[in-house]
Amino acid sequence: MSRIIRTTLAAALVAGTAFAALAPSAKAQTAISDTQIIQGLSAVTKDEPGITAALLRDLAQKSIDSNPNPPSGQSALAARLNNLAQITVQIQFKLNSAIIEPSSYQALGSIADAIHHPILRGYRFLVVGNTDATGTRAYNLKLSQERADAIVTALTTTFGVLPARLEAVGLGQEALQNPAKPDDPVNRRVQVYNIGHILP
Amino acid sequence: MKATVTAALALLGTMMAGSAMAQTMSYAQAGQLLAKSCGPDIERFCRNDNLGNGVIFACLVKNQAQVKQQCFTDVGVVQASLAKRIAAQRDAWKVCDADVREFCKGVVPGDANILNCLTEASKVVSPACTAVLTDAGWR
Repeated sequence: MSRIIRTTLAAALVAGTAFAALAPSAKAQTAISDTQIIQGLSAVTKDEPGITAALLRDLAQKSIDSNPNPPSGQSALAARLNNLAQITVQIQFKLNSAIIEPSSYQALGSIADAIHHPILRGYRFLVVGNTDATGTRAYNLKLSQERADAIVTALTTTFGVLPARLEAVGLGQEALQNPAKPDDPVNRRVQVYNIGHILP
Repeated sequence: MKATVTAALALLGTMMAGSAMAQTMSYAQAGQLLAKSCGPDIERFCRNDNLGNGVIFACLVKNQAQVKQQCFTDVGVVQASLAKRIAAQRDAWKVCDADVREFCKGVVPGDANILNCLTEASKVVSPACTAVLTDAGWR
């Protein structure tokens, strides 16, 4: 069973355990509650003003340009992101496409519920798309950006989130969750990061 | 392990109690209902369309002769419920203003402090404020 919630923080780990202990594994990719998302995203309230969507895109592109081989261990990019309050959500897309499967509308809705809750009201978030290592790195970078864009579009229109609170970033395969197994499906994931207070 | 499962069940129970009380649908419930009622028709007629900007709905309308009626019925239910929830989230602090002044003096706004105060004071909070927080999905 893939772990749906991954965070370094104790409060969020409690929620993760609850889910792992109770959810049938076949449904692992579809159900994540807004309560769990709120816990994961509010556990750290320290702002990380250094991280922006533009910076992450730049780092991902540099990672491709400067290393002919994909990073073997945890990438510098992944290490940096680990400092932020975050949740990992499995969203199902059509193969090689940014079309979101209807079976994942509920998971998108859970993210929206969390972002609309008063406890997260004052914050901004990055929606980060990741692929596994199947296919070329350049293609994966492009596809993951398109997928992250699709999620932000759904959240900011259908689900009513203020556009100023969300930014989409695709990291392709440059921040693998399991670098030891680059083709593992666990690497295909969407992560939401709390990047601090809404700017005045 | 046993303690973990017990704690987990307690957490799940809290979450279920929370959702059972709400008079409006959450976005997650809305997404779930749309996937159930309209998912097969979306896969069939709108397979290259994405959620957002009303694109899926426009596609379903275009194919309405073949789309299941239940899908349109449930789209209506979802729209009405979400509109009510959005309005409640927008108006909650105005509706609860007198309660906040009476029961939450000195509470610093932010990080859901006001909401937590109103929740703790739920026995004395006015029915209007209670109702708007329920419709907002916040209690």
